[in-house]
Amino acid sequence: MTRQLLWRLLTSIPVLLGVLLVGFLMLQVIPTDPATIIAGPSGTAAEIEDIRRQLGLDAPIMMQFWFYLLRVMQGDLGRSIINNAPVASELVTALGPTIELMVASLIWAVPLGILLGTLAAMRRGQVFDRAVTALSVAGVSVPAFWVGLLLLQFAAFRWQLFPLQGRGGPLWTLNGLHHVALPALTLGLIFIGPVARMTRTAVVEVLGADFIRTARAKGASEFRVVTRHALRTALIPVVTLIGLQIGSLLGGAVIAETIFGWPGIGRLAVGSIVSSDFPMAQGCILVLACGFIVVNFVVDALYGLLDPRIRSKVR
Amino acid sequence: MGMIGKRAAGCMLSLALATTAAVAQEPDTAVVLRISDADRYDPQRSTALAAAEILYMVGETLVTLDRDLKTLRPGLAERWEVSADGLTYTFHLRRDVSFCDAKPFTAKAVVGTMDRWLNPDFPGVSKWKAGKVESVKAIDDYTVEYKLKEPYSELLYQMTQFNFIIIDPDQATELKDDFGVAAFNGTGAFCFQSWTPRTQTVLTRHEGYRWGPSFMTNPGPAEVAKIVWKIVPEEATLAAALQTGEGDVSFAVPAWALSQLQATPSIQLLRPEAGFRTHYVGMKITRPDLGDKRVREALSLAIDQSAIADAIFFGEADAAKSYYSEAARDFNPKMKLDAFGYDPEKAKALLDEAGWVSKDGGVRMKDGKPLSLIFYGFTGDSDKQMAETIQGDLRKIGVDLKVELYDPTIVWGKLKTQDFDLYQMSYPYLSAGDAMNLYFLSSNMPTPNRMNWNDPKTDQLIDAGNRATSAEARFAAFAEAGAIIHDAVLWKPLVNEKLVVVAGPRVAPFKPHGISGAPLYNGLDLKLAK
Repeated sequence: MTRQLLWRLLTSIPVLLGVLLVGFLMLQVIPTDPATIIAGPSGTAAEIEDIRRQLGLDAPIMMQFWFYLLRVMQGDLGRSIINNAPVASELVTALGPTIELMVASLIWAVPLGILLGTLAAMRRGQVFDRAVTALSVAGVSVPAFWVGLLLLQFAAFRWQLFPLQGRGGPLWTLNGLHHVALPALTLGLIFIGPVARMTRTAVVEVLGADFIRTARAKGASEFRVVTRHALRTALIPVVTLIGLQIGSLLGGAVIAETIFGWPGIGRLAVGSIVSSDFPMAQGCILVLACGFIVVNFVVDALYGLLDPRIRSKVR
Repeated sequence: MGMIGKRAAGCMLSLALATTAAVAQEPDTAVVLRISDADRYDPQRSTALAAAEILYMVGETLVTLDRDLKTLRPGLAERWEVSADGLTYTFHLRRDVSFCDAKPFTAKAVVGTMDRWLNPDFPGVSKWKAGKVESVKAIDDYTVEYKLKEPYSELLYQMTQFNFIIIDPDQATELKDDFGVAAFNGTGAFCFQSWTPRTQTVLTRHEGYRWGPSFMTNPGPAEVAKIVWKIVPEEATLAAALQTGEGDVSFAVPAWALSQLQATPSIQLLRPEAGFRTHYVGMKITRPDLGDKRVREALSLAIDQSAIADAIFFGEADAAKSYYSEAARDFNPKMKLDAFGYDPEKAKALLDEAGWVSKDGGVRMKDGKPLSLIFYGFTGDSDKQMAETIQGDLRKIGVDLKVELYDPTIVWGKLKTQDFDLYQMSYPYLSAGDAMNLYFLSSNMPTPNRMNWNDPKTDQLIDAGNRATSAEARFAAFAEAGAIIHDAVLWKPLVNEKLVVVAGPRVAPFKPHGISGAPLYNGLDLKLAK
């Protein structure tokens, strides 16, 4: 198991290098020049040349990438072109709200997805089951930005139940909860569909197993059979799915944060790309990519822990 | 199972109830909404309008402008004298002014401000606005002598602009690159509390402030205790936030949303007495097809600016007939402006005369080459619509326009090149002289004189206007220069934009100020109803 995890950790390094390279190259091909932006509308050609030299932009591309790598390894992500703030500290500031938003989405979407999936499995073929399936399909197919805009239009604008924009404070305050509600709802809706569908399939499969029949024969109530016996086994693929979906949650966060003005990494990424703030955009890409890698790593580890068969195979 | 369902439903309901409390607004805190943020809040290093909006609240200039944008009024200087040769300006400073950190304001701050800005090693912007400075000296604690190498008639007007805001030079030295980012110590009606880039800037009332300009209703301290400037990048959300009461004031509301907001009884639309911002299309006369004035005139006559004013600005802009507003100081009312009307038939005739002909109603040709022009513009919603309208108008007279739109951060770099024929943008100005100094001097090629207008007579007249020591001489010079550049058809003026401040129900009616497109000005008159 440890060896498996170590191997995973090692294979993450080329992935990370690839991400750094792609992020670096992407910003190279954009038809703009950071030196021109720093110099501003009144900058002269000499000033621009000077800034380009200072930034090391006159060096060959591979050298530039090498210097960038060296700096990143030292934890120096550079400074924002826009406000001169260190990129690393801006990223740390923005990471909190993003994690907060993801937690707020998962905290309601995962239990609800599992609940709906379980109930659907128990009422297999009935109207409720079909309704949950329809909901899951809708949840998977409907884009987050559309849901976000609808919520914005009705819940925030027409009925004025929730604020339109921003973060109101930490999650445990009433104002914080009030502000996070709509973005968390938007983001959570992406999640419910796949979780409910996977739970349903897994529970249906497990309910036909021998040990369930034994449990029933022992006289356990249906509630106990489902929660104690079926669900525990059925949750293994669901956990894997949740892990994998957290990756897409990061993508959804970019959209939800932009729509609801949530001051997280997603909005920072969009804002810095739009304003051509290269060091900041590179930092955001790096953090989002690291998020994916870390989540995948944790899921691999958890998967082994939850299913003893996998653990023993690897060993 | 039923139990689980009931518990879950109970949890959901209580969560919903807990979160449906109304959007609470803090009393005594005004929330101003805007689309974009500034690069920094250092008056000597930013050219951004977004910087001006906040800097006028936290800092002040020696001289300021009344609401008509023509009459000079005392600011931090209670009075001033100009020597007969127009070279020496003596400013007598107010003695009751202090910075936010309670440090008294003296001549030392003024000298330090100018020294920092004009230091050749300092990457300051818009230094030309200061004129050709010989020296800035403190005669005593409350008298400053500003000496020029040559007269500069625009100086006092330029001094009302935000780049002239008096800073705390000690703080600037101490903070270096973080000045105007981490902190800003000024003498304004508000104090700079915090800036979270792309999210918000928080200002708090300068409690000891009592020295507001005479034309403000409130001399100070400010009526509101705190102003939060929030960034809402989405235009539609911004308009909605004003209606739901999440924001109190905004002057970044798109024109299309104004009529809807006007119909909302609790919303007020306030307009400043004067404000100068003109949208135009510039023509690069050194490009092969645009050297011929007839072609430029044809392009100008083909574009219907009234349609743009009505359809894109929903009447919140006036069709422009000249490069700068008729209400601007030193506008020459006798200029011939026929080339800036809308007359597509005359445009076609001019192109025929210039040898550009179309056989089948398609793109016009000359010597086997089509009349195809490259147009650079901005990516904003209204800019995009304007570009499309212009493209359509020009197509009607047989001109093919290749439109390339760039993000505001990229476009400035593109506009420094020689690779385009036409470009479109808007600009704020103080007066005809201000506009001409910026755009039409040959020394300002290739930017902002992107037309490459290189005319010794224009240079000489603008210079004469700048050096003039009487208002009459200044007008005579600028009026003649204005006639020359308009006669050459270097721009097609599109619209004069009107600044509209949208205020929500909590805001007491007030008079916005048109200065530099920052209508809340120093924030003294902003008042929340109890």
